[in-house]
Amino acid sequence: MAACETWRLRPGQTLQYRQWDGECVLYNDLSGDTHLLGDGAIELLLALRRAPATRGALAAILQAGFDIDAAALDHETDLLLRDLAHLNLIDTLAC
Amino acid sequence: MLTVASLSRTQLEARLSSAGLLVQTGAFVSRIHSPLRQVADGIDTLYGDYPLHDGDAFADFHVGLRHPGGMRRWYKPQVNFDLDGQLPFEPLPQAHAFPMLEWGLNWCISTRAHAYLMIHAAVVERGGCAAILPAPPGSGKSTLCAALVNRGWRLLSDELALFRPADGVLVPVPRPVSLKNRSIDVIRDYVADAVFSVPVSNTTKGTVAHLKAPSASVARAHETARPAWIVFPRYEAGAATSLTPIPRASAFFRVADNAFNYSHMGGRGFQTLAAAIDGCASYDFRYSALDEAMAVFAALEPPR
Repeated sequence: MAACETWRLRPGQTLQYRQWDGECVLYNDLSGDTHLLGDGAIELLLALRRAPATRGALAAILQAGFDIDAAALDHETDLLLRDLAHLNLIDTLAC
Repeated sequence: MLTVASLSRTQLEARLSSAGLLVQTGAFVSRIHSPLRQVADGIDTLYGDYPLHDGDAFADFHVGLRHPGGMRRWYKPQVNFDLDGQLPFEPLPQAHAFPMLEWGLNWCISTRAHAYLMIHAAVVERGGCAAILPAPPGSGKSTLCAALVNRGWRLLSDELALFRPADGVLVPVPRPVSLKNRSIDVIRDYVADAVFSVPVSNTTKGTVAHLKAPSASVARAHETARPAWIVFPRYEAGAATSLTPIPRASAFFRVADNAFNYSHMGGRGFQTLAAAIDGCASYDFRYSALDEAMAVFAALEPPR
């Protein structure tokens, strides 16, 4: 994924969720499914609810909020974004 | 309001055989038609405390238990359950008519009452706080529920936890408690004055009998309760009694797994269940001795 790629919360997602003891349970408005997410995932979703953001900016949020090794940061960010996109929670903006 | 007990046996049978018996169980009124002695026997034994409505009153469910036509009336007679004239199930032996009525009424609620978030769970209450016991068949849920409601807890339901989305409270639907196989004798021994329907053998669940709901629970069927504890019971012969806290996220998914209509309700179901999980302490509960189980429940502290 390119660092300049811009991500957004998919239109229609309202982020109904609860965080309990380091786990997040989130309702997916588009699929009707309920997901169990980690803290990193909900941090990214909340950031994208405020405004679309580049992959680089999202990686910075993860680095600031969680103790992620710099060498693994790109990989972890890509994995998280791919998983959230797979769940139809986020997508990329057209360039 | 008059109760079913105000009818003589002759009057009860006449209503069942003609315009129907309109009986209120918590939030629901059912109009029951049946010419069968087994149905009249079960209602006569277990439904005396329930409010009775006039023949022209509104009913949520119009159900019948009747013979299929033809030769089966005479040879190994059977019974059909109908809702508004439709037959949702295969016929059963006539001797199974009363359990079929109970199962059918549960089915009516669980497939239609979508104003509520409905969970397959027993619900009992003490001091305004409700314990919800979600569990699959065979977990000892109904045995535990039957014991609790005869040791100071109020019965809201043996089968259906009905969460009202507007305020998150539990709406009672206190009906007879369904017990099967060895549990029937366990509760007969545990509850000195237990009133049971006639046990019916060779059902799909084995031998089944229904325990009369406590009169006080039926009289308070209009009183909602606040969810306070979610307890997943598990009977294991010889097991030591244990109550183990479980994380809220895990409790959320396990309750949802036992829901009849969580997916159907969409975001409203999520909000209703999430609010319940917020307000409850959740546990796994393993037991084998009812007295020890009663002591554990008596010691439950309302969550802050």
